[in-house]
Amino acid sequence: MATAATTRQQQRAADMNVIARKQRSLWGDALYRLLRNRASLVGLAVIALASLIAIFAPLIAPYDPLELHGKSGLLEPIWTSFFGSKFTDPAYIFGTDTLGRDILSRLMYSSRVSLIIGLVPVSIVLAIGLTVGMLAGYVGGVVDDFLMRVTDVVYAFPDLLFVIIIVATLRGTALGNAYDGLLVIFVGIAVVNWVGVARLVRGQVLSVKNREFVEAARAIGAGPGRIMRRHIFPNILAPIIVTVAFAIPGAMLTESVLSFLGIGIRPPTPTWGVMINEGFIVFSTTPWPVLLPSMCISIVLLAFTFVGDGLRDALDPRSKM
Amino acid sequence: MFFVALITFTLAHAAPGSPFDLNANRPLSQATIDRINRYYGVDKPIHEQFVLYMGNLLKGDLGLSFTRQRPVVEIIGQGIGTTFQLGLGALVFALAFSIPLGIVSALKQNTIVDYLSMLLATIGTTIPGFVTAIFLIYIFGVSLHLLPFVGWGSWQHMIMPMFVLGLAPGAYLTRITRASMLEAIRQDYVRTARSKGLAERAVIVGHALKNALIPVATIIGPATAGLITGSFIIESLFNVPGMGRLYIISINQRDYPTIMATTLLYAFLIMIANLTVDILYGVLDPRIKVR
Repeated sequence: MATAATTRQQQRAADMNVIARKQRSLWGDALYRLLRNRASLVGLAVIALASLIAIFAPLIAPYDPLELHGKSGLLEPIWTSFFGSKFTDPAYIFGTDTLGRDILSRLMYSSRVSLIIGLVPVSIVLAIGLTVGMLAGYVGGVVDDFLMRVTDVVYAFPDLLFVIIIVATLRGTALGNAYDGLLVIFVGIAVVNWVGVARLVRGQVLSVKNREFVEAARAIGAGPGRIMRRHIFPNILAPIIVTVAFAIPGAMLTESVLSFLGIGIRPPTPTWGVMINEGFIVFSTTPWPVLLPSMCISIVLLAFTFVGDGLRDALDPRSKM
Repeated sequence: MFFVALITFTLAHAAPGSPFDLNANRPLSQATIDRINRYYGVDKPIHEQFVLYMGNLLKGDLGLSFTRQRPVVEIIGQGIGTTFQLGLGALVFALAFSIPLGIVSALKQNTIVDYLSMLLATIGTTIPGFVTAIFLIYIFGVSLHLLPFVGWGSWQHMIMPMFVLGLAPGAYLTRITRASMLEAIRQDYVRTARSKGLAERAVIVGHALKNALIPVATIIGPATAGLITGSFIIESLFNVPGMGRLYIISINQRDYPTIMATTLLYAFLIMIANLTVDILYGVLDPRIKVR
């Protein structure tokens, strides 16, 4: 009896499953494809881990990242003792830097800066780019001409060059000093990158704004604001999501390049770029203070790229490269 | 181009501090400061300075460097040859590995060769140049003592910077080559060529490749821009005496005439690269002109 009931239940569940599959929405479908992509899954896992480390850095880091540990400067990571290094100390798993600061703790705190850099400027870029792109695309005419000329000017600059100029010239001001130079990097990244999003959004809006469903919405009396929000926006979302997924590692990369060149985040605040910059003096004798943050950057950037690639394939299977 | 000049000029002059107030222990007398300002022409209002600068620019005069007491043209002239050599080498390297790799992975689509080269391409575009450089310096410079990693001059000095600089654009070109090759080998004219009994080699090289390379050629413009911006980091890292390193040093020293001139030159080079590609595109693909 019991078994028969179970089989019947299983049968029904299986039937429902089939129906449920047929009804999978665009987004559910995309999510399903994303999760089936092994590289993306690994990427997501790495990002989740990095985020957890960033959030809980004060709890899990063994030391204060700024604390100087007296004479124990430039200790090597503990695994080098297997290869005959005598300058290790089990208290500092990844060793210490030139000033005797614990590298592991600094790496953990660095992930906080990277994630903030990945989130805040990209949100600003998205907000400005969406607004400008939607307006230019939907309103058209003089507004479009004006906004597109502005983007042309910003576009004429090589992007990294522009960020460097902005950050370098604003360095001495109050803006440049705010939050150890974090704020001016936000500004630099935002100023340079909104253009790409604005152009993308404009192109997408142009391609959907004369389609029947928009006309239908207009016919039943929807205002321009409502049409843009409820009808156009959901239909152009997919390419925007992909762009954002690639903008996040782009912003992180910009920060690390600036910090590495010595014009980004101000020491002693730990970021991976700053750590590489500081460790570079002793690189030929003790490479670890440089190698370890380099590995962290590489792993995190790769993780984001894998997720971005996966998202692109998931949202638009035709564009599979 | 004009707007690039205007923005850079305004930004550079809006920045607080001048290279002359660095030494706080020995403040200069007001008279001296006035004299220095007059000498460099920075005592006039900003719009007059801009007009003057643009006028001189057309005559080929880029002003005097604030920190080196020499004309900017001369300083840039010293660095540009090295940067050009490095950039050209990197571009050649990028093309040399990316196009064959892209073709092979397209012809052997979905095999291990394809997956490996695509993984390499992803890594090459994702990992920042300076990080790759650090790993290479560690392996070949510090551990194996095979290659020098500071300075410039012999061919051994050039290997690592060129490799690193060419890697990212090359990886990107590999992806593009693969994608456009995949599209080309499915076209009707390729099928026609094959059906009339041509050797596989002739079909691939003469018919598919010729058409597949058109989109690749258009990417070379942006790739050149990438090489140019990459050069600041790579030159600073390997201590190569080129324009990129000069640029970073000038920024740290607030040497505005040099910053201005280098920025303009970079923007100009990128514009030229894009223009060349546009023209080349028309020559390579006559279909464009018809539209």
